Amino acid sequence: MFGQGLLKGLQITLQELFTKKVTVQYPEESLPLAPRFHGEFVLDVEQCIACSLCANACPNKVIEIETAKLDKKRVLTGYMMRLQYCLFCGLCVEACNKGAIRFSQKFEMAKYFRDQIPLILYKGEPPVQEEQGNTGITAGEAEGTEV
Amino acid sequence: MLRTEEITLNMGPQHPSTHGVFHVVLKMDHEVITEARPICGYLHRGIEKLAEARTYTQFIPYTDRLDYLAAMLNNTGYVQAVEKLMEIEVPERAEYIRVICCELSRIASHLIAVGTYSVDIGGITGFMYCLRDRERIMDLFEMVCGSRLTLSYMRIGGVAEDLPDEFIPALCQFLDEMPSRLDEYDGLITGNEIFQARTKHVGLLDPGVAINYGISGPNLRASGVFWDLRKNRPYSVYDRFDFEVPLGKRGDCFDRFTCRIKEMRQSLKIIRQAVEQLPEGPVMAKVPKVLKPPAGDVYHEIEGAKGILGYYVVSDGSNKPYRIHVRRPSFINLGFLNELCKGWKIADVVAILGSLDIVLGEVDC
Repeated sequence: MFGQGLLKGLQITLQELFTKKVTVQYPEESLPLAPRFHGEFVLDVEQCIACSLCANACPNKVIEIETAKLDKKRVLTGYMMRLQYCLFCGLCVEACNKGAIRFSQKFEMAKYFRDQIPLILYKGEPPVQEEQGNTGITAGEAEGTEV
Repeated sequence: MLRTEEITLNMGPQHPSTHGVFHVVLKMDHEVITEARPICGYLHRGIEKLAEARTYTQFIPYTDRLDYLAAMLNNTGYVQAVEKLMEIEVPERAEYIRVICCELSRIASHLIAVGTYSVDIGGITGFMYCLRDRERIMDLFEMVCGSRLTLSYMRIGGVAEDLPDEFIPALCQFLDEMPSRLDEYDGLITGNEIFQARTKHVGLLDPGVAINYGISGPNLRASGVFWDLRKNRPYSVYDRFDFEVPLGKRGDCFDRFTCRIKEMRQSLKIIRQAVEQLPEGPVMAKVPKVLKPPAGDVYHEIEGAKGILGYYVVSDGSNKPYRIHVRRPSFINLGFLNELCKGWKIADVVAILGSLDIVLGEVDC
C-alpha cells in the first residue's frame, strides 16, 4: 500500500513526543563538560620556567613569551596568547613539561572588540636589575628563522 | 522535442544544498540540465602549502580542517603516512583506539550525510534525528580528546592520550542504542515513499565509469564495486575484524544513501569487536621529540568516510615536510558531476549532489 512508509515515519515522530525532554536552558543551566575539555587557557606562573617549548610547539605562533635574564636565569615577564589564531589543538599543553599551561573549563570566550581577544596570562614587573636593563626578548624574535 | 532557449543558472556559492561554498553553473534547456559545470575553490586555504612551514606534528591540526566531519580519519591517514616513512611501529592499544575513533568518526560523517540528504530531499525531521545521535559521538570525542569537531587526537607514533575511564561504558551504551536509532532512520527516511520516488533510478553511476573517474568510497560501492581498503588492502589492524562491505545494485542516489546506513551498522560491529579485543599497554611509541624523517617520499591511503583518502608526504630530511599532497575523495568524486547531472531535471541536481556527500573543506583543501 502506498503511504505505508509515511505512516511509519509519523509513528516514529509520535513516539519521540513521549520521550524525555533533553533541552537544556543554556545560560541558566549547562551540561557538565568533559574533564579534558579544551577551554580557555590558564597558566600556573609558579611552575612556568619560560622555556618557550609551548611557543615552539604551536602551529600558528599564538604564544608570545617575554623573558628577562635575572642572575643568569631566565624568568617570565610576559605570557600572551593571540587567541584569534588559536586552533585549540592542545599541542602547547602537551609540550609543557611542567604542567604550567593547562586548559580550563571556561568556554564563553566571546569578546565585543578585537583588541580584547589576546589572552594575557601573565604580565609581570620587569625584574629590578640595574646593570642589565631591559633584555626582554620575545620567543617569536628568537625563532626568527621559522616563517 | 521542443527546444527552448538555453538559460544559465548559478547554483551557489551560497546555496544550502551545496553543503558549503560550492558553485555549479547549470546550463538548462527548459528544466533539463545540459551542462553542470562545478566551480570550486571558495574555501581554499592552501593547507598543503601551510604544511611546508610547519613541523610534522604541527600539521596534524590542519588535517582536521580538510574533512571536518570526519577529523579522526584525516588525522589517521596523515600520521600513518609519516609513520610509514619513518618506519615507526605503533603500539597495539593505540591501533585499537585508532580503529574505535576512526569508525566513530565514520559514523558521525555518515550521519551528517544521511541527515543532510534528507533535508535536501525535503524532509527536515530526518536531519534532526541524525544530529541528535551525532551529538553523542561528539560527546564521546570530547571525553577522549577535549574537542568535539577538530580533534587532533592522533600523534605520529600513537595517540595523544589514553582513553579515559568513563569512555568505554559510555561507548558501550552508545553501541547498544545505535542499532535501534538506525532503524528509526530507515523508518523515517529510507522507507518514505516520497524520498524513494525522488532518489530511485536517479543519477545512475555505471561501475565501469565510476572506476575510470577514480570515484571511491560509498559512491563507488553503491554501484556494486567491491572496493574497500579496509578489506582489500587492510591497514592498521583492520584485518582482525569481521565485517561486511555493503554494496548497492543500481548505483542510483537511493543506493548511495542506503550504502551509508548499512556502513554505519558495519562500523558499529567493528567498534564492538575492537572494544572486546582492546589490549592493555602504552598508547605511544618511542619517538624522538623532534621528528626528522629520512629523505624520501611516501604515499599512504586509508578508507576515509567519503572515499579513499591518501597522503603523499615528501621529506627532505629536515623537521618540516618538503611537500604534502592530499588525495581528497570529495574532490575526486565531484569530477563526474557534469556527466551525472546531464539529462536530469533541475530538482534532481540537488538529489545527485547530495548523494555524492561532499564536504567543501575537503574539496578545496
